[in-house]
Amino acid sequence: MTQIPETPPSKPRKPRIGVFVCECGRNIAGVVNCQALAERASKLDGVVCTMVNKFTCADPGQEEIKAAIEEHKLDRVVVAACTPRMHEPTFRRTTQDGGLNQFFFEMANIRDQGSWCHSSDPEGCQERAADQIAAAVAKAHHLAPLEVLKVGVTPKALVIGGGVSGIHAALDIADAGFKVYLVERSPTVGGIMALLDKTFPTLDCSICILGPKMAEVSRHPNIELITYAEVTKVEGFVGNFTVQVTERPRFVDLDKCNSCGECTKVCPVVVPNNFDANLGWRPAIWIPYPQAVPSSYLIDIDHCLGLKSNSSTSCLMCDEACKEAGADAIIPDDEEKIHNIEVGAIVVATGYEPYDPTPITEYGYSVYPNVITAMELERLINAAGPTEGKVIRPSDMQKPHHIAFIQCVGSRDERTHIWCSGFCCMYTIKNALLLREKYPEAEITIYYMDIRTTFKDYEEFYRRARQAGIRFQQGRPAEISEDPTTKNLIVHAEDISTGRPTRREFDLVVLSTAAVPSKGTQALARVLNVPVGPSGFFMEAHPKLKPVDAATEGVFFCGSAQGPKDIPASVAQGSAASSRALRIITQNEWEIEPIVAEVNPDLCRNTIVKCGICVKRCAYGAITADPGKAAFVTPAKCHGCGTCVAECPANAITQHHFTDDQIMGQIVALLEDNPEDKILGMLCNWCSYAGADLAGISRYDYPTNVRGVRMMCSGRYSEQFVLEAFRRGAGMVLMSGCRLTETGSDCHYISGNVWAEKRFNRIAARLKKMGIDERRFRLEWVSAAEGDKWAHVITEMTAHLKEIGRDAIIAENERVRPELEKRLERLLNPPKPKPKAKT
Amino acid sequence: MLDRRIIDGNKFNQKLADEMAEAGYDRIRACIQCGTCTATCPAGRRTAYRTRQLIRKALLGLREEVLSDPTLWLCTTCGTCQERCPRKIEITDAITFLRNLAVEAGYMRPEHRGVSHKFIKTGHAVPIDDEKWSKLRESLGLPPLPPTVHCYPKALREVQKLLKKTGFDKLVEYKGDD
Repeated sequence: MTQIPETPPSKPRKPRIGVFVCECGRNIAGVVNCQALAERASKLDGVVCTMVNKFTCADPGQEEIKAAIEEHKLDRVVVAACTPRMHEPTFRRTTQDGGLNQFFFEMANIRDQGSWCHSSDPEGCQERAADQIAAAVAKAHHLAPLEVLKVGVTPKALVIGGGVSGIHAALDIADAGFKVYLVERSPTVGGIMALLDKTFPTLDCSICILGPKMAEVSRHPNIELITYAEVTKVEGFVGNFTVQVTERPRFVDLDKCNSCGECTKVCPVVVPNNFDANLGWRPAIWIPYPQAVPSSYLIDIDHCLGLKSNSSTSCLMCDEACKEAGADAIIPDDEEKIHNIEVGAIVVATGYEPYDPTPITEYGYSVYPNVITAMELERLINAAGPTEGKVIRPSDMQKPHHIAFIQCVGSRDERTHIWCSGFCCMYTIKNALLLREKYPEAEITIYYMDIRTTFKDYEEFYRRARQAGIRFQQGRPAEISEDPTTKNLIVHAEDISTGRPTRREFDLVVLSTAAVPSKGTQALARVLNVPVGPSGFFMEAHPKLKPVDAATEGVFFCGSAQGPKDIPASVAQGSAASSRALRIITQNEWEIEPIVAEVNPDLCRNTIVKCGICVKRCAYGAITADPGKAAFVTPAKCHGCGTCVAECPANAITQHHFTDDQIMGQIVALLEDNPEDKILGMLCNWCSYAGADLAGISRYDYPTNVRGVRMMCSGRYSEQFVLEAFRRGAGMVLMSGCRLTETGSDCHYISGNVWAEKRFNRIAARLKKMGIDERRFRLEWVSAAEGDKWAHVITEMTAHLKEIGRDAIIAENERVRPELEKRLERLLNPPKPKPKAKT
Repeated sequence: MLDRRIIDGNKFNQKLADEMAEAGYDRIRACIQCGTCTATCPAGRRTAYRTRQLIRKALLGLREEVLSDPTLWLCTTCGTCQERCPRKIEITDAITFLRNLAVEAGYMRPEHRGVSHKFIKTGHAVPIDDEKWSKLRESLGLPPLPPTVHCYPKALREVQKLLKKTGFDKLVEYKGDD
């Protein structure tokens, strides 16, 4: 399974390094002088060729690299350009095409963590870029050839969420001939779309177009549908996920139930129907709606009288009715089922849910009966809904004559949710038109801030509504009050066009509420180890180029799980995610990075004393350490975080491509000049480095004195890196990783940041004892979504740096140097443990 | 009243918005002109005070128009607009800031100037040392004067000293006893 060479072939001759500086059009060259960077790089040890490219990533740029490899007999390639999270794979391929091992490539990030975030200080940016290039060259000196690992692929996929997006993802994968598990939390697939009446801008019936797709899901030989179930555990990696699905008991046999409905006639329980936005009623044995898939009833055990084991009553009337009808489908002792499934790829389609506007007290929702939400209107206007399509006022069941729609309730509002939910303008126009058709004499007013009608045929639809006499009033209503006798509502809003405050009485007000992440999104993010953005929706790997990929390879998002989307966009994303998943599961093998850990058996203490620290630190059970034998890492199980490397007291473990020599080389290069003015930042690939990239993408400007070293995980940050940085005179050292909070860890490698924090505390205590100002060594959790936080942390640290003062830092460094050196000596050459008994 | 003048866009400038941002009301630039402030304003429902339009003019930099606008003084500083603003703009505080600028620029209402003069003279914006009040107080078993500067002429002199030191007297064009 592994193709890692036992020991990388030693390179007796000096490396020949080529440095390629990308201008990225004006993106980089607009702030820094690329020519000067190349000239400076040419003076670095081992650099035999430098070049400036307009766009290194474009074909001509890549050809220049290949030609230079041949012409200058290069054996290492360094590209200074954007983030390695963007183009490292591109340039590795170029390096390989040039005839070198692809791991003889290193990248310096001078755009996302350079020109994009330092445009106000071009000189400082120039210095930082030069240092980052020097660090990449230093790492290049220590690069070793590696072969990619190949792992087998389970040719099956999991789709989580059976709304319109998940249905399409599942159908596409299944149609391609691959097995799909479709897991849905509620008793039926269909999601929100199945509850809507008509769809915009065509006004075709929602369930009429979705129903056949839902039926297809239940029929498809390649789809195994698990409803009323949730994903509770995910282990493994791309191509090889093991997933635990917990299915709640339905108490009705899916195969035996023929949905005759006799059971509901006898059930004595009446509870609000949440599938009807709680406007209608249902018994305890129920089916969400006639087109539900699977077409089977289920028992709501929280409200059922007779099945509870601790219940004094034993109703079971449904059981009798069912037997009488000849189905005998009731299972009184049904239990939770655990499914353990193996898949090669996972598609997350968990959708959104409408916001409950009760907290926006000025609109009086849940206080005034005639203030309803758009979702409630959908159920009222739907022929299959609780009123069979009659729109009535909840207070007196009468037909409304003056109807108001209020847009952006809980959207575009910093007190609740800042984002625009995207589709509310359109569904409001749709509902207004439907009402106009139903009640031609009713007056309809839409209060809005802006009407957003992007996408095909939407503006035409808006025009149609204006033409139909719907009144559009620009101005966000400030409050709704109620006439206590008539229960009519008075809406206060400024009419922006005339600039005057208005008040108007309505008998029904519909709130277009925000789309918010589905309940359980956070929990699922934890289970999958993928980040959510500031809005709480899942965060894609790249906002432009990887819109349906998670940062974790093999996991994909589609539909509103990633952000609110209308039906066509959700369907398109479902198909997009399925094609991304098929890209993996159609292969027999999948390449994964060989950045795994490896134990040097000659140095491992376990051969002499009982150690096994690495075994305990590994979150994946990839390491074994049998008594008397050296520890051993199984490469296919190793995820490459490097926590064991940093924790090994004997320095016996190496992480390929992130070796101690490589990282130390980077640190030394970064701190070559004026180290006391600099912040040495260690950033984990998945969160902090991505967060720092995001700061650049978002153009947050922050001080240029930070110098970044990328590692895969904060678990890799060894004590010697910190001590070496201070020994070299660093002004400050920052350890930054994925968020670790009381509610859990966002670490991409489960617990790397837990060990990073423990290590940080140990090192901080040691440094404090030595007499280093506490502000000079810092730990910060910065997620991939927190570009602003990254900029803030660096700005704050720089302020502290100035506060402490250059001279004080130099003096402090001089004072602690002997102690640092003593400790470093011990860390780098740990004493051999004494064997307990002589052998 | 209809204003028939065209607003000259060349005269728009960022200065007033900059000043407001510097004073801590930087969120004002995020205003989306939704009108919640105007619609929510209890003063605006009864007067010509239009919160959103004042903020708009301030953002456009129509400095003189904003500072000379008599409706600037109709806000009761109840804070409802601030509470309901979807951009969390410190509207009421910003209005107070604009009033300060207006006074500095000489746009003080004569009534306010009168009250200020009274304050300098007596230490009270609304003095309560006349016969009507002292009789009422006595009827309630209280001393005729409250334990404020009314009772302590030395404290009043201190207050006046402070007001002189901070330049308040000049600001409100107080020229001594008249």
